[in-house]
Amino acid sequence: MKLQTKINIRFLVVTFLVFSIAGVLFYFALGQVVDQNIREMLKSRKAYIELNLQQNTPSADSIESPDHTILIQRIYSIKNYNLFSDTLAYDQEEKELVPFRKMTFSVKSGERFYKVILLQSLLESEDLQLIIFSFMAALFGIVLLALFFLNHWLSNKAWNPFFKSLSVLNNWKIGETQSVSFDRTGISEFDQLNSTLEKMMQKIQADFVNLKEFTENASHEIQTPLAIIKSKLEMVLQDKTLHDQHYQRIRAAFESAIRLSKLNEALLLLSKIENRQFVDMSEIDICQLIQSRLEYLEELFALKQIEVTVSLEKQVTYMMNPLLADILVSNLLSNALKHNIEKGQLIISSENQAITISNSGEVVPMDVSRLFRRFSKQSNASESNGLGLAIAHEICNNYNLQLNYHYLNGMHCLSIKQKSQISTNLHVNFDR
Amino acid sequence: MKILVIEDEAALCETIVAYLEEEGYRCEQAGTVELGSEKVNLYEYDCMLVDIGLPDGSGLSLIKELKKCHPETGIIIISAKNSLEDKTSGLDLGADDYLTKPFHLPELNSRIKSLLRRRKFEGKQELVIDKITILPENRQVLINAELLQLTRKEFDLLMFFVSNRGRVLTKESIAEHLWGDFADSADSFDFVYSHIKNLRRKLVEKTGIDYFQNVYGTGYTFIE
Repeated sequence: MKLQTKINIRFLVVTFLVFSIAGVLFYFALGQVVDQNIREMLKSRKAYIELNLQQNTPSADSIESPDHTILIQRIYSIKNYNLFSDTLAYDQEEKELVPFRKMTFSVKSGERFYKVILLQSLLESEDLQLIIFSFMAALFGIVLLALFFLNHWLSNKAWNPFFKSLSVLNNWKIGETQSVSFDRTGISEFDQLNSTLEKMMQKIQADFVNLKEFTENASHEIQTPLAIIKSKLEMVLQDKTLHDQHYQRIRAAFESAIRLSKLNEALLLLSKIENRQFVDMSEIDICQLIQSRLEYLEELFALKQIEVTVSLEKQVTYMMNPLLADILVSNLLSNALKHNIEKGQLIISSENQAITISNSGEVVPMDVSRLFRRFSKQSNASESNGLGLAIAHEICNNYNLQLNYHYLNGMHCLSIKQKSQISTNLHVNFDR
Repeated sequence: MKILVIEDEAALCETIVAYLEEEGYRCEQAGTVELGSEKVNLYEYDCMLVDIGLPDGSGLSLIKELKKCHPETGIIIISAKNSLEDKTSGLDLGADDYLTKPFHLPELNSRIKSLLRRRKFEGKQELVIDKITILPENRQVLINAELLQLTRKEFDLLMFFVSNRGRVLTKESIAEHLWGDFADSADSFDFVYSHIKNLRRKLVEKTGIDYFQNVYGTGYTFIE
């Protein structure tokens, strides 16, 4: 839920509650005032009639005013009447029964006693009450609406810098060299937030660049001492006077040095890809590349008795760096070789500008979430450094290619295809 | 044969020189572009090994210089920079080969030999090792004037061993020589073994001599 909606809902609920309570109270207060008013009116009329009756005793036993609001009747003993009561009476003008306030009292006039009934229509006061109330209600409604829109407009305006900052953050990609800057908003809270964000992003950027440079420099610097270790050990291994035991020990050191240097090379390559240091681009026919690589590897597949099936009828070209294309294909093929089983299968096919390399292997599907991560070895191929697919994945990322994995009928399938939304930017040729 | 090794890392330089001197080459060392340039201009070499990243400049300038005064000298770049640009610009300037550090010494040796063969004898040199005669240009092997059928990989393997006679060749260096980057494949040592087994069998059948010697757990040696 949007913050604005949330605030608005709360605001409306509270305002509505306050207004309704105020409305109800107002209604009753208004009723009281009107009621008070009628009583006062009746009382003043009573005083006037009493005065009149005390001075002049009427001759008739019963007197009624023409509008039926005053009725004087002779009675023979004095009674205490309940002063006020409500009643319905027929109204001549309205031609219907309308509520009336009735005041009954007795008066002594000379020797006679009279009972006086005063009637006052409540219709007008009720009308008045209703008019005032509906006017108030309408006013409340208008105020409520006005407040709602004002609030909406204000918060929209107030949150505008926030959404601007948000879009800047959304468009920000770590590793991009251009620095991020926020416009000044003139609102101190947002300016404060923006300057904090700016500082944070600059720090992240700097750290990221430092880390990348460190990885690259470290791998590069490690390479030379490794070369020395390797060559020195190789020299020692030439020594024919060594015991077998010594051979074994030196061999172990030699093997580890080789592994280390391979690992290092791979890391260096990975950081170079991430740093986008491979700028040259040309159209690479992936199918042709795979064919030539396969010829080179023919023997390795044959020795493992792997049946290689290639069905690449269509030409698939990607715009990419030639060296990276070579590494991508090599990594995928050697992956298919490395994790294959004796007398296994390798199927390479292309369809709709996508290339799929499927190989038999262990009969358990790989964990996709970990497959392309660095150093995530899921098999026991000890020679594997766990970087091959991470490198392939990184290369694909660089060229808007998608590297997908799925497990189908005992075959591990890796497929490369272009990410759909950007596919128009890249030149793709199929169907010769 | 005289070789100039231009490499700033003293320890690596010494190892290379030591290995090559055992092969019978006369080696000279230089650790900087300045020293290298002096030697290039003063003396004549059969081959120059040059590192690209030197403390006082790029080895590429030395290649240019050498090409001017002694164009017949073979050039092999040894560089830690595994970048395509370095490789292509080096080869464009006239370098003959490119090796990425870290490399195996037998590999370097084999590349130098092959380069010198091409440069000095235009590849027409016959290599005679005991009963085996190799014609590198035609990629043919003759035993008692009879052609020995070898696969491409077996021939490469034989050339590698012959170039490094008497040396212990590790399984790793053999695998890398045959398959380059694919050598890290888990089973490549089995392939090395099977190739050597086949080559050995073919040679034993024709010559009656087993030229290969197993070095316990490490690799193989070609003995005369």
